[in-house]
Amino acid sequence: MATSMRGLTQFIADIRGARVKELEEKRINKEMANIRKKFKDGNLDGYQRKKYVAKIIFTYILGYKVDIGHMEAVNLIASPKYSEKQIGYLAVTLLMHENSDFLRLVVNSIRKDLDSNNEIDNCLALHAIANVGGSEMAEALVEDVHKLLISATSQSFVKKKAALTLLRLYRKHPEVIPAAEWALRLVSIMDDQDLGVVVCVTSLVMALAQDHLDAYAVCYTKAVDRLQRLVIEHEYSATYTYYKVPSPWLQVKLLRLLQYYPPTEDQTIRTILHQVLQTIMNNCAEPTRNVQHNNAQHAVLFEAIGLAIHLDTGSPLVSNAAVLLARFISSKETNVRYLGLDTLAHLAARADSLEPIKRHQNTIILSLRDKDISVRRRALDLLYSMCDIDNSELIVGELLRYLRVADYALREEMVLKIAILTEKYASSYKWYVDTILQLISTAGEHVGDEVWYRVVQIVTNTEDLQHYAAKVAFEHLKTPSTHESLVKVGGYILGEYGHLIANDPGYSPLEQFQLLHSKSQFCVAATRALLLSTYVKWVNVFPEIKPQLLNIFDRYRHVLDAELQQRACEYYTLASRPDEDDFLQNICEEMPPFPPRVSALLGSLNKKQGDTGDKRTWIHGGKEANLDRDATKRKTLNMNLTNDDNTSAPPSSTDDIISSLAGLNMTSTPTPSPANPLVSSSGDGSLHLSVAPNIDRWYEKLTYSGDGVLYEDVQIQIGLKSRYQGHIGQVAIYMGNKVDASLSSFTATVKVDDTEALSASFSKIPPNVIGPRSQSQQILQVECKKMFSTPPILTVSFLTGSHQTTSIRLPVVLTKFFEHVKLEAADFFERWKLIGNEREAQSIFPVNLTSSGQLDLNKYRAVISGHRLNVLDGIDPNPNNLVAAGVLHMSVEGKVGCLLRLEPNREAKLCRLTVRSTSGDVAKEVQKLIQKPIVAA
Amino acid sequence: MISAFFIFNQKGEVLISRLYRTDFKRSIADVFRIQVVSNSDVRSPIITLGSTSFFHVRINNLYVVAVTKTNANAALVFEFCYRFISICKAYFGKVDEEAVKNNFVVIYELIDEINDFGYPQNSEIDTLKTYITTESIVSTNIAAEESSKITTQATGAISWRRADVRYKKNEAFVDVIENVNLSMSAKGNVLRADVDGHIQMRAYLTGTPECKFGLNDKLVIDKNDKGQSDAVELDDCRFHQCVSLAEFDADRTISFVPPDGEFELMRYRSTSNVKLPLRVIPSVTEVGTTQVQYTVIVKANFNNKLSATDVVIRIPTPLNTTTTECKAPTGKAKYVPAENVIIWKIARLQGGAECSIRATADLTRTTTRQVWARPPIDVDFQVLMFTASGLIVRFLKVFEKSNYQSVKWVRYLTKASGNYQIRF
Repeated sequence: MATSMRGLTQFIADIRGARVKELEEKRINKEMANIRKKFKDGNLDGYQRKKYVAKIIFTYILGYKVDIGHMEAVNLIASPKYSEKQIGYLAVTLLMHENSDFLRLVVNSIRKDLDSNNEIDNCLALHAIANVGGSEMAEALVEDVHKLLISATSQSFVKKKAALTLLRLYRKHPEVIPAAEWALRLVSIMDDQDLGVVVCVTSLVMALAQDHLDAYAVCYTKAVDRLQRLVIEHEYSATYTYYKVPSPWLQVKLLRLLQYYPPTEDQTIRTILHQVLQTIMNNCAEPTRNVQHNNAQHAVLFEAIGLAIHLDTGSPLVSNAAVLLARFISSKETNVRYLGLDTLAHLAARADSLEPIKRHQNTIILSLRDKDISVRRRALDLLYSMCDIDNSELIVGELLRYLRVADYALREEMVLKIAILTEKYASSYKWYVDTILQLISTAGEHVGDEVWYRVVQIVTNTEDLQHYAAKVAFEHLKTPSTHESLVKVGGYILGEYGHLIANDPGYSPLEQFQLLHSKSQFCVAATRALLLSTYVKWVNVFPEIKPQLLNIFDRYRHVLDAELQQRACEYYTLASRPDEDDFLQNICEEMPPFPPRVSALLGSLNKKQGDTGDKRTWIHGGKEANLDRDATKRKTLNMNLTNDDNTSAPPSSTDDIISSLAGLNMTSTPTPSPANPLVSSSGDGSLHLSVAPNIDRWYEKLTYSGDGVLYEDVQIQIGLKSRYQGHIGQVAIYMGNKVDASLSSFTATVKVDDTEALSASFSKIPPNVIGPRSQSQQILQVECKKMFSTPPILTVSFLTGSHQTTSIRLPVVLTKFFEHVKLEAADFFERWKLIGNEREAQSIFPVNLTSSGQLDLNKYRAVISGHRLNVLDGIDPNPNNLVAAGVLHMSVEGKVGCLLRLEPNREAKLCRLTVRSTSGDVAKEVQKLIQKPIVAA
Repeated sequence: MISAFFIFNQKGEVLISRLYRTDFKRSIADVFRIQVVSNSDVRSPIITLGSTSFFHVRINNLYVVAVTKTNANAALVFEFCYRFISICKAYFGKVDEEAVKNNFVVIYELIDEINDFGYPQNSEIDTLKTYITTESIVSTNIAAEESSKITTQATGAISWRRADVRYKKNEAFVDVIENVNLSMSAKGNVLRADVDGHIQMRAYLTGTPECKFGLNDKLVIDKNDKGQSDAVELDDCRFHQCVSLAEFDADRTISFVPPDGEFELMRYRSTSNVKLPLRVIPSVTEVGTTQVQYTVIVKANFNNKLSATDVVIRIPTPLNTTTTECKAPTGKAKYVPAENVIIWKIARLQGGAECSIRATADLTRTTTRQVWARPPIDVDFQVLMFTASGLIVRFLKVFEKSNYQSVKWVRYLTKASGNYQIRF
């Protein structure tokens, strides 16, 4: 290999030995001339070609321009020898940029290597794709990479690389990957035996799931299952422990992945998750000396706390976590302090009560003076998030004090945050004005225009404040060095409300004028223009200083700046009009209040949070901020959906509309990628029910019987046994593997349309492997809460060479929750009449006769009692007619009675079914359910 | 003034480091290394970072650096740097990394002697050599005696010359050396032609002689007798400190008391009426993208009795040249891939002669088709007894109290090295 290439070693030694740059350049020029000659002459064997390309690569790495050897590199890739192929790939990844024309020539060779049976060739090709990653290449090869990832014959390390290659391609060119289409297949690899593969695939899934939440929803269960196996059952190979922590990278990724999804409704999963999080926290209870062990544990712990906060801020886990975090923020290690503060900010952003955090307020305030700037920054974020009406004065005061000594990098953000907090939690207007003016005078150069606009807005809109504001502004202007923003605020406020304080001693018009005008010479033209407007307002209210003001206008009529000149001229003419003219007075009317507006401050704050890589699941700020954000996100999604239906505006513009509506700039809001997640969720299987006559027949039969086969094909058989008691039911699902290979990555999920009405969850997470010719039993807990009409859907997917997905309806229907009622004839008719025919559902339909030409009364009876209605004998005079009664149990809506009458007619081959119930909907549903098996095929 | 003085090698390692003031730490050297040595974009000899200015001169892959925090006179600082280099040359013969490393003790002695608290004092080689010696220490008696002499000399009117110089044979050698710079356009127009000359003198004269020196400088000639055509217009000139500038300003005579031994009497520049000794007529054609054909003719444009020696003509080849073929009837030509040129060497070229070369270069295909930049042809040569500016030494007179006879020798040399370029 490389060591045997003497020419190359010599070349490198020569270059290293060159004492000065010129010698090095000479050596390289000489070598390049030689290589050019050799390439021109042709007839090179593989070894020589490899050697020369290697030299070219080395030269290129040194920073010299290289424009030969590309063709030779392409030829080397096609070579069957590993060492030559390797050098070829190295050259391709280094020498060719992603839009190089030569890449077209390489694509075919790379594809061949991807298809090759040699894993090493596969890997080389994957490396090249990931490193070059041009869009053309991505488009051409993404399918092949995917094939390699899902292929059953791929080695683990090939799968790992393939997953990471896909991740890299997705990050660069999200449009080339049909994310939703591949969702199930990719998620299924999360069940791989090899944890390394799982880590890589999880990374990929995490990136994809962020943009395609619904399509990748299956990964939730998988992630929880994997966490359980890692953390609780300790099911992992020894090679994947890092300082006694089982694969911390995987744990962190899974925990993070779960945070992208809204908390699950499924009780079982919640319990498991709770156990997992509890275990992780318990593991961290006793700190160890080993730094690496600590690091790994903390990485997992912080992610776990993040997830706990995400799931439920009220759970005892979170209060435990808060205690832990409090310990962390006073830790000696900078990293731990940083993470502690960051996580606390997450908690503050989500929690209902800030009490547990407020307890540590002093520590947090101290962190503002931490020696590490990133920690200071986190402390600032946390203080911002935890601020509320009670502690706002204290926190804002503290921030103001800190602002004087804060780093320049931090100041602008601090100013914004202080301004927002002051406005949001102002207990009194006085305090607000004091604080903001103090802010402007302390950190003038960092105060953006929006801050002082806002002050002016608020002062104008609040009448009680105006007198006080004018006084305070005046006092602040008195300090010898004032910032322009302060001059602007002062100019505006004194111009509008200076007359309110003119009668107080020390605030006379002349004093106001002198003070303000003394500042004007240090200001830029825009501020001076504003001051001119102030002066013209004063001409109106303070006739006593009119001569001075006129003098100034006169002087400004000759300045160079066009804007100033124009203003001065106009104001001068206005002011020189005769006194009795009320024109000036009309113009200088007091400002009307501004229309209420959402503060622009938040917008400029959010703009600053441009996150790269994995998105954050929360933003800094209180609970409302996060709620707002979620709502906006959801709205955006819906909007996109409707937009997609009539294919109008692209998502980005919708986002703009939303943001302008909300008054917030949501540039940092994760926007879904063009492949719309909600539309693509149709690929999720819920709408793709497996269809076959058998399936319908099996289903129908099971609607009125408890046990039986639900589904069967060559590979799998699904059977049911069910038991119902009131509104609760237990369905045992038997999934049998009929082939001689195990079904791996087995997933079974139940989807309920209306979770308000019906809940269905497995009592434990289904196993992910079913051995050859064996059976697995799952208990499904169902509970009827309200009236429902659509049955839950069971989705089963597994791997047997290829990936199979089957979705079938589960025979959990309304009638399953009926219980028998015994009624006498009199009772029955009384109730029948009581309900009356407005809450009745009736239908007439044809029926088949038995082979002997009789009515199949036994079957009718079986159907009705199978639907758990008590068939009452001896009530109807006609023995052919069936009468039944039952009570529907629902946990939320309570009990609903139901009466039924079936009147078959042999001669007409027709049948009349009448259902009466206290709830009309129930009656209709029952009628539909019972009619179906009886009606003629 | 100069706060610190450093010498760096090519890699940015500090070879010499001397701080004259307390306003810097030694770590200031790192700033220079990072900002200048490692930053290939920097070409300016003065870099100001904050309130700190770095002045550097590059010589033989060394950086001679002076650092200051004050608003120092840049010309003075550079003069100091160049003077330092010439002192080193006088002491060790050459200035390169090896010489600096071998003589670092002497260098520290020298720079300490020259600078007091960052102010350059006496930088006269002759004087310095009397008390900073590279030989072994002389006995204390003599040293004491010498040191008193040193003081008188250093503070005297002629600090560059000792009083007690004796020679049996009084001689003075004058070398007029001119460097011709030329850049000629592809159409044969002269874009720039100038001469960089200096007059080097070796004086072996007894006592304290007073010399007068005359050139065919246009200003002088025009003043004396009008109508002579061979007068030369000098754009600017600079003299050794021994030349009395007052007299030069008054009547443009160059009079001086020469230092003992070799020194540079004056430097001058001339841009008008430059006589180009060699004329090069290139014709280069690119045949498609695979070949370049050259025909280059060189003509010697001077007196038949003279001759140009060491003529080296560098003809650039494209960067993707594979092989070349050269046919040169006179001289030798070969392709040097390390520099991407064909080098054609002619040992001797008689005045008025003409010779030519024919060559072809075969090219290979490249990935990115780039137009060849066609760098200029570069010619190096030397012509003895010829001045491109036309400058002639008209007289050199020596006056001494003892009125001895002295012998004077004058030599002329015109050369080109690296800046005689012809585009094509």
